[in-house]
Amino acid sequence: MNKVTENLRKTAAKLLQDKEVDMVIGYGLGSEAVRTQPVFITSPDDVDKLVWNPFCVNGLTKYLSDMKDHPGKMAVVVKGCDSRGIYRLAQDSIIPRDKVVVIGIPCAGQLSYTKLASKIDVSGQLKDVEEKGEDVVIKTSKGDFTVKKSEVFLDKCTTCEHHNPVVADHVVGDAINTCPTPDNYDEIKKYEAMSPEEKAKFWLSQFGRCIRCYACRNTCPGCTCRECVFDAIKPDWVGKEIDVSENELFHLTRAFHLAGRCVDCGECDRVCPMDIPIRLLNKKLLKDCKELFNMETPGSTEEGGSVIGQYRLEDPEEFM
Amino acid sequence: MADKSLKKDQVKNLLNKIAQSNQLIAPILSDGITLFKPVQSGEGVVLDYQNAVVPPKDFFFPQSEKMFSYDMSDPSWAIKPEEGVPNRVLFGARPCDVKSILLLDKVFDAEFRDDFYIDKRNKTTIVAISCNDCRHTCFCGAFGISPGKAEGADLLLTDLGDRYLVEVLTDKGETLAANCSDLFSNDDGSGAAAKEKATAPALEKQMKIDLEGVKAKLDNMFDHPMWAAESLRCIGCGTCTFVCPTCHCFDIVDFNNQSSVGYRYRCADSCQFANFTRAAGGHQPRPSKMERTRQRFMHKLRYFVDRYGDFGCVGCGRCLEKCPVNLDIAQIINKVKEVG
Repeated sequence: MNKVTENLRKTAAKLLQDKEVDMVIGYGLGSEAVRTQPVFITSPDDVDKLVWNPFCVNGLTKYLSDMKDHPGKMAVVVKGCDSRGIYRLAQDSIIPRDKVVVIGIPCAGQLSYTKLASKIDVSGQLKDVEEKGEDVVIKTSKGDFTVKKSEVFLDKCTTCEHHNPVVADHVVGDAINTCPTPDNYDEIKKYEAMSPEEKAKFWLSQFGRCIRCYACRNTCPGCTCRECVFDAIKPDWVGKEIDVSENELFHLTRAFHLAGRCVDCGECDRVCPMDIPIRLLNKKLLKDCKELFNMETPGSTEEGGSVIGQYRLEDPEEFM
Repeated sequence: MADKSLKKDQVKNLLNKIAQSNQLIAPILSDGITLFKPVQSGEGVVLDYQNAVVPPKDFFFPQSEKMFSYDMSDPSWAIKPEEGVPNRVLFGARPCDVKSILLLDKVFDAEFRDDFYIDKRNKTTIVAISCNDCRHTCFCGAFGISPGKAEGADLLLTDLGDRYLVEVLTDKGETLAANCSDLFSNDDGSGAAAKEKATAPALEKQMKIDLEGVKAKLDNMFDHPMWAAESLRCIGCGTCTFVCPTCHCFDIVDFNNQSSVGYRYRCADSCQFANFTRAAGGHQPRPSKMERTRQRFMHKLRYFVDRYGDFGCVGCGRCLEKCPVNLDIAQIINKVKEVG
């Protein structure tokens, strides 16, 4: 067992024993070697179910808003990217900061299940993971596999702004001193350079295959509306019909709702079963908000709020 | 009809020939993922894929489908029915997906006859392809499905390396084979043994899930605490149900854009959505994730068996691979067996 897992369990056990929280939301072993699944620990006797490894891809802050009526205090395990969701939820008054105990874990990057499954047999049970320089050795009941980390990182992890959580009441694990590599938006610039026709062709082809499962919305810590506009029956702003025009309306509306609020955790991209690069839309809005309003990535600091929800005299208005 | 043989370099010719007189639906690689799409020719068709992200169910029970249209300014107020589909060939369906169509038949072509479904079903010839390999999430064997058999298909192709073994399974298949007979030769008798060898790895490699006693146990597990525990991590998206080859729940909606012209459509709905069961007046029989998660697994493994005598799952593994939170039906089956 790695040191982080050991300390994570100790921290969780103490929080539960001291009744500081009545639930710890973290990661447990998954059904396949390179997956984890979110676990909800309510007893100090169960903390052994918690793990930390390079497969802790899920963002867990969304569960806080799902359980916002939970009477007690909850602890949640966050990585750097997810930790921005904590401030985000507090700024939107969804979850008061003092209702959550944040267990932050410095993270050097998470490995993609999809990428790993295309390279190695992932069907066994995980025994151990060892990092060896550029490589990771994944020891499973079906054998040991050595993989080059850079080939299997989640795409988002190659441009990480916060290896260390921006907020944590308890930090488990050593701080990561690697210099952050914030996105220089090269990819977005590529799309910006396209003609409107090219953009339409690209996006309509992507939206055309959306199955409207709403996994992107449901995993998003920025999507916290009491009733989502896409679930409203009267008026039915967006029809339930699955076609490219309704799908486009869904994706663009969702992107605009998240402008200045998206914490750039990349979960929408990860969960999409149809591999639609949803995050590109949010990235474009993030880039615009940064350039126009000098905004930090939302949720990076305790202060602040939705940049679109604020007004400053010096706001640019050349587009008006 | 005796087994046939098709040379690898003749596959494209076969597809082109089929496409001349039928709508051809086949797996293609589209922006990095394999999907079944209507295609004009054999160009770009991939047959060595493992599993399409979305099953070919969509061509029998489309995710969204217009039922009829109307124009109230027309004095007769006539309802205009939708035109049916042309004759079609679904090419390259995997055995699990073919089995799922047989399960959908039990729903749409039995006590209630669904004309929309039946029209598509009748006009479609299914050419299945055996699995030589499988995904890490496959477990069709649990449901009596074999990588080398495709009950419900009209023709079955098996990749034997240099050629395909072509088995004619039905009259529909015989008609198709007869129309393309110039591309086939007679199998020399070695096909059956070669097929067994070719499909053995898929059988060997797949997850072994034993369903013995699961249905009987589930009969008494409606109030089991397991559902609450397992549902906690569910995020309530519809991924599992929309990638499922047997899920078939739908909603019916009228669209008229506040004009005299309008239409009615039906579209796939998901029991994992909160508003799936929300009734007029706000009553909600499945108020939380617990009830919804339980419903999905119970429907597949208990209610479907009660109603139709078969499990409502084919072990294609799509839901467990795509679930964002690793809510894995194979793991659930094993847990059902373990819990007290």
